[in-house]
Amino acid sequence: MTMALNLPRTDDAADLRAGHAVRVRDAVRTYGHLAALDRVSFDVAPGEFLVLLGPSGSGKSTLLRCLAGIERLSSGAVSLSGAPVNDERTFVPAERRDLSMVFQDYALWPHLTVAQNVAFALRRRSVARDEAGRRVTEALDQVGLAHKVDRHPNELSGGEQQRVALARAVVGRPRLLLFDEPLSNLDAHLRERLRVQISTLTRAHRATAVYITHDQSEAFALADRIGVLDRGRLAQLDTPEAIYHRPASAFVARFTGISGSLEATACSSASAGAEWVSVRLRRGELRARPMDGIDGGARVTLLVRPDAALLTTDTDPRAITTGRVTDIAYRGRGYDHVVDLGEGRLTGVHDRQAHPRGSSVGVVLDPAGCHATLDPGSSDPLDRSAGAESTPHLPSPVRGVAA
Amino acid sequence: MAEGVVGRLRPRVGSWRSVLRHGPASAVWALLVAILILPIAMFLVIAISPRLLGQGDQWFTLRAFARVLSPSLLPAAVNSVSVALAAGVGAVVVGAAMAWLEQRTDLPGRRLWSGMMFSLMLAPSYLIALGWERLLEPAGVLDVLGLHAAWLRGHFYGPLGVSVVLGVKGLPFAYLAIAGALRGLGDEFEDAARVHGGGPVTGLRISASLLAPAFWSAFAIVFAESVSDFGVADTLAHDAHFPVLTYTLYTAIDAFPVDFPVAAAIGWVLLGLAGLAILAQNLAMRGRAYQVLGGRTRQVRRRHLGVVPRLSALAGATMVGIVGVGIPLLGALAASLFVGMGTLAASPTLTLDNYRRVLESAALHAPLAYSAEMAFVTAFLAVGLGLVCARALSTTGNRLSGRILDLMLLTAVALPGIVFAAGYIFTYNLPIMNRMGIHIYGTSLLLLLGYVATALPSTARVLVGSVSQLQSSMGQAARVHGAGAIRAWFSSSLPLLARPILNAWLLTFSATLLELPVSQLLYPPGSPPVSVGITKALSAYDLGGGTAMEVVSIALVLVVMGATWLGWRLLAPRGWKRIGEAR
Repeated sequence: MTMALNLPRTDDAADLRAGHAVRVRDAVRTYGHLAALDRVSFDVAPGEFLVLLGPSGSGKSTLLRCLAGIERLSSGAVSLSGAPVNDERTFVPAERRDLSMVFQDYALWPHLTVAQNVAFALRRRSVARDEAGRRVTEALDQVGLAHKVDRHPNELSGGEQQRVALARAVVGRPRLLLFDEPLSNLDAHLRERLRVQISTLTRAHRATAVYITHDQSEAFALADRIGVLDRGRLAQLDTPEAIYHRPASAFVARFTGISGSLEATACSSASAGAEWVSVRLRRGELRARPMDGIDGGARVTLLVRPDAALLTTDTDPRAITTGRVTDIAYRGRGYDHVVDLGEGRLTGVHDRQAHPRGSSVGVVLDPAGCHATLDPGSSDPLDRSAGAESTPHLPSPVRGVAA
Repeated sequence: MAEGVVGRLRPRVGSWRSVLRHGPASAVWALLVAILILPIAMFLVIAISPRLLGQGDQWFTLRAFARVLSPSLLPAAVNSVSVALAAGVGAVVVGAAMAWLEQRTDLPGRRLWSGMMFSLMLAPSYLIALGWERLLEPAGVLDVLGLHAAWLRGHFYGPLGVSVVLGVKGLPFAYLAIAGALRGLGDEFEDAARVHGGGPVTGLRISASLLAPAFWSAFAIVFAESVSDFGVADTLAHDAHFPVLTYTLYTAIDAFPVDFPVAAAIGWVLLGLAGLAILAQNLAMRGRAYQVLGGRTRQVRRRHLGVVPRLSALAGATMVGIVGVGIPLLGALAASLFVGMGTLAASPTLTLDNYRRVLESAALHAPLAYSAEMAFVTAFLAVGLGLVCARALSTTGNRLSGRILDLMLLTAVALPGIVFAAGYIFTYNLPIMNRMGIHIYGTSLLLLLGYVATALPSTARVLVGSVSQLQSSMGQAARVHGAGAIRAWFSSSLPLLARPILNAWLLTFSATLLELPVSQLLYPPGSPPVSVGITKALSAYDLGGGTAMEVVSIALVLVVMGATWLGWRLLAPRGWKRIGEAR
């Protein structure tokens, strides 16, 4: 399958308008007694790519639908390029917000051909027929589907359908592009390739983008900034690097990917914003990033990023703790190990060399990837945040930071 | 000033927003109350409080119910229940057999059965009954053919004949309910029983258990339909002097002096019986609504039938076809093509005179034209309102308003047409209506409202399945890509719903064109609808004219259906036709 990516022609680039500046203030959306959004505020700069990351039920879909104008806020305000579109007096319907959206289920109209689906946004914008035809061809060319204009959606694969949805979204050159988990129904291989298309095409069109996902690797790969949502609240909004290296809470750290959590004891006191706190594991002391105010002697949980753990021999003096390998998986570039330590279990610990099941190993920890918290977390593997205690398959720039 | 589209917007102000958001919904609710709840509730309440609406002296009494249970009226109730039970059991047994043969065997010609069931569903019960009467009556078709039918006539003009016709009329409902369940039931359940040590009987027992909810549903539907039926009551049962509840209700209103309290009490009994059927079905199905349909359901293997079973099955299926479709059609055709049928005056001769009379005599063709107009308008109104209700049901199903609407429509489906009609006659003839300036009693408008009210619940039910399947993202995608609410519906939802809308329109049109109970009670003086015209002609011993009207009416239904489908094939956009079409 070809997935050519042809960016907008240079003579069209001048036509592209700057993206919307998005402003959300104290957004609240309730369903009965349940608050899906709880006083969420943020800004998105024109042309910025914001990813909203969170587990199911965190409110990210609700927030996106409120931005789109499909739902109304219960209270709070949204403005686009300075004009209020949703506050207590105003509600601008979706079709008048100058935006478009890529849906999780693609939402292609089955009675229309690929070309007609894509042309829909132009018909509504009163673009001249010739110009519309040219732009439809160009948009489909950009996603590598110019040869399938006469097909109907049910004659396309899932990946092709989503590329048509992407072409439909960009063809009208909207100032805001919204993405509702557009890759979640695709297999891993297609996901990665389509992710690149979304990233490049969105930036080429200079539109502001808000993208929601529950997949942290997708978020890190796409975002200029990431907003992490937890039970309707914005837990942290920052650059991918800051989210990864300085998570604001145990929830953010867990949801953006940890190898495991270890029980430790604080050797010193530290405030929540402090650079370091000293903690003790079985074989020695280690510096870690404090996420809460911690008193000396307190029991803490050490959240370890996947790339902060290094396997070595159990006699290596650098090893801060030791344990036994309980499982191993070949990953092409090396091996991921599951290691049971006295202080807890680490999963997805990578090493180029295989350490057989049952072997004793030493573990070296990089302080920059260790975050100390007083929150013990959940031991339930089905818990919404504990479920993220796995290798997040982060793209190499982030994965390589602490390694 | 902000740039672009957003910058040109004028904010909407709160009060207008509220009116725009809630106004249409309130109007629909008001209409539903006016046409569904108010007439029925006002009619039913006089059974227990005649004085409330000027029908007696007592604020509270159960005298009307006592009269229904008196020796003069009780037999009607017993008869209604007996024939409905017999029709229900018969329809489930025959429907299950036909569904199994159609779904699970390689019996030839089984596709024809779906067409037969569709014809039966469209044919009103009085037409089936009249067909049988033409066949069996003295000097009827059988007598003319020299086949002495006295013995069969003796049996058929009574509970047996009424049960058979009601069972035949209920057959499509039973067949569809059971065939639908069978379709979803793969072989794997039976296979699982077999590989875990169960014999063929165990396998069969498991399949039967899984199908039990469908059997109960089928029985409940046929029982409720049979108890509520007025077509057979007004024809075969009346001619056989076999009283049933619906006809007793009719005579209570049609006779002089009018006895509304007794009619209302019978309405309660009819409603209660239909409700009991649904309740019994719910109780029987509690915890037994097995979910057998899934992505992993495997296609079943068709069983090869040997020569003897094959011939027996074909004979049985043909018999059902003859009893349900063949005889009514033959009866109507024969009676309309022979002059002198049903009379002892002269020997019958073959002629097209009856059809010429239908085309030339205003007394015979005016009812058909009137019914066609009414059915045409009713179908549009019922489908429009049905779509609104279906949309409300699919989006507010779990909310209180959704549950109330659901209950209201379900109750209305179970409500006999004759009770609807009686409610309309009573309510819109009340002095208070005159004082309020509502003068629609005895007009075509009241008949139209009655038609819409009786058609709406089933039309909404037919549409709700398709409307619920419509992904909300279809319309949302249109909105976020620039279409307004109305344009979004027309461009993204209508094409996907066009086929079910067309089906619902055709079903409503055909059912209304040939509808009897509401027509009988609500038609404006001097403008009888076709069903009334047919029964009047037949009761005036104009058998040729009445049956020719029958045949022409059915032909009109078929022509409208054919023309509509041809129009769809030729004119509908290609993309619309793709939806719901098998490859």
